[in-house]
Amino acid sequence: MIWKIFTGFLLSGVIIAIFLLPAPQKELGDVSRIFFFHVPVAWVAVLAFFVAMVNSILFLRKNEIVYDIQALSAARLGSLFSILALVTGMIFAKNTWGSYWNWDPRETSVFILILIYGAYFALRSAVEIEERRASLSAVYAILAFLTVPFLVFVIPRVYQSLHPVESVIDTKLKFQLPLPYLLVFLCSILGFSLIFVWVHKLEILLCKFDKDAKKE
Amino acid sequence: MSSNFVVMIVSLIVWLGIFFYLLRLDKKIKDLKRR
Repeated sequence: MIWKIFTGFLLSGVIIAIFLLPAPQKELGDVSRIFFFHVPVAWVAVLAFFVAMVNSILFLRKNEIVYDIQALSAARLGSLFSILALVTGMIFAKNTWGSYWNWDPRETSVFILILIYGAYFALRSAVEIEERRASLSAVYAILAFLTVPFLVFVIPRVYQSLHPVESVIDTKLKFQLPLPYLLVFLCSILGFSLIFVWVHKLEILLCKFDKDAKKE
Repeated sequence: MSSNFVVMIVSLIVWLGIFFYLLRLDKKIKDLKRR
């Protein structure tokens, strides 16, 4: 319980700090504050898809349905956080590049990622037999995660993109942000990761209750 | 009142709404688990 209260205070502090500090990029103005929300949300999306993959591997190895439930919950949250990352990115794009959608490699690759995981849910709803559904979607979740590093990290760096790069870490793996901004950024990453853990746990319990209710 | 301050208050209200909703859900699920 303590860590949940801590999350509440942490993210409240982050919100206050984001608006009390001067805008991180003076040229871009206030819209650059969205960075403290956009990057952590994108980070949690990648984390969630990773958790979905790990649980899918565990399901294929141990054949216990609990891992399928955990993978499903993580994939759902990953998709939700990807959509949040895309929406916050679009708000940033409107204010800096002039339009919400520019077919920028970063925007497009995240959109493709959302579609890939959309197909995961379509696959799940198309198979009725539980064990078959679980094993098919586990294989799909593992294959889907293989695209994540390419779509999130590689493609936007290979093709010319309007998206800012090296805004957190430069090519020499050194932090680019001044200390106060770095602290707020790291607290935001921690806060959003804790929210993911919390909601993930709640969703797993809800899925289990749902399954038990259906059995009865 | 600056627009930044207004956005900060709105963001805090939204976040605290989500936070208390999660706390309530957490409590309900724990009660269900006990039963």
